[in-house]
Amino acid sequence: MEFNMKQYYKFLACVIGLGLLTACGSTNPPTQQLTETQMVIQQAEQDGAEEYAPLEIREAKIKLNLAREAVEKEEYEEAILLAEQARVSAELAQVRAQSGKAQKAVAELRESIRVLKAEIERNQRTD
Amino acid sequence: MPKAYLAIFPLLILLVGCGGPPANNPLLLSATSEFNTAQQDTMVVRHAPVALKEAEEALEKTQDLWESKADKAVVDHYAFIAQQRTLIAIETAKLNAANSELSRSEVERQQVLLDVRRSESERSEARARQAQREAQSERALAADAMRRAEELAQQVRDLEARPTERGLVLTLGDVLFETGKSDIRSEGMRSIENLATFLNEYPERNIMIEGFTDNVGSESFNMQLSRDRANSVKSALVSRRIQANRIETVGFGLNHPVADNTSNAGRQQNRRVEIIISDQDGKVSPRTQ
Repeated sequence: MEFNMKQYYKFLACVIGLGLLTACGSTNPPTQQLTETQMVIQQAEQDGAEEYAPLEIREAKIKLNLAREAVEKEEYEEAILLAEQARVSAELAQVRAQSGKAQKAVAELRESIRVLKAEIERNQRTD
Repeated sequence: MPKAYLAIFPLLILLVGCGGPPANNPLLLSATSEFNTAQQDTMVVRHAPVALKEAEEALEKTQDLWESKADKAVVDHYAFIAQQRTLIAIETAKLNAANSELSRSEVERQQVLLDVRRSESERSEARARQAQREAQSERALAADAMRRAEELAQQVRDLEARPTERGLVLTLGDVLFETGKSDIRSEGMRSIENLATFLNEYPERNIMIEGFTDNVGSESFNMQLSRDRANSVKSALVSRRIQANRIETVGFGLNHPVADNTSNAGRQQNRRVEIIISDQDGKVSPRTQ
């Protein structure tokens, strides 16, 4: 009985230990994912994210840094999640920047059309 | 039995540790509600169908994880991804809508540019026509002025007026009048007619009629006679519809002779009426001598 109980605890410890290991997940750092996320952030910045989506690009950068810190602590699973969050925020920042610029261009185009129409009206009045 | 309890207890702890899902995951709930709003937005459905589908897939994955009682941190993570995907879909729709408006508006701008050029050329044509009309009317005015100047010259020749410093001066000799009288003889009426015609043609011009005599008779008689003769000419003109206020009269009697009073011929030259025609302002400068 005694022996059996000891055996059981050993077994249990093994199970828990294995489970924890599995939960900690990957054994390799998500290097490629971090690089890709970094690239998306750079593209977003090139598209003007600092101006058009400052909050989103900031969140992406913070999460990428957290992901890198997680890698240093060898918490690779956590690093993968953070990198994925950083990437999706960077994507949002990029599309916000592109959309903001396009909407600005639309406004400028509308304004130039309005000015041209006013000019036509003026030409017709002075006839 | 106690052994069985001992075996079950740590397993229970393990289960709780793995994180039994809470009744609701607030992040998942808000991600779902935001996605539903986006899905009902026709602009998003039309302009960002792919991004919307990606958001839907992310949401379904989160839902599955939650239903299979995955760890809260993992569900939160995928709920966050789903939420961001929904925002990306909305923003992508805005971007695509703006881009398609850009291409439509560019076409419109080209059209408006053409309209501007057309209206500008129409305006400059109109201006050219206007300038032509103005030039024509200016030429007409100039021609008219020239014609009037020529007519005036002709009229002046007809009147036999001579230009002087005071203006055009027309001298009517005493042959117009009976000796010692102020009535105009019928032979003199021709000169009066010409003068009346001239004054009708040039309403801006006024006249001054000055009467003169020779030195025969008293000074006061000659003064009165010179005034009477000037007035006689004036009433002849007024009866030909010339306004009286355009005509001034003055008599100088025997003053201002133009010839020697010792001979008949000289005295005849001194018996006269001079008519001074004003400039275009209607002013006649008075005699300064």
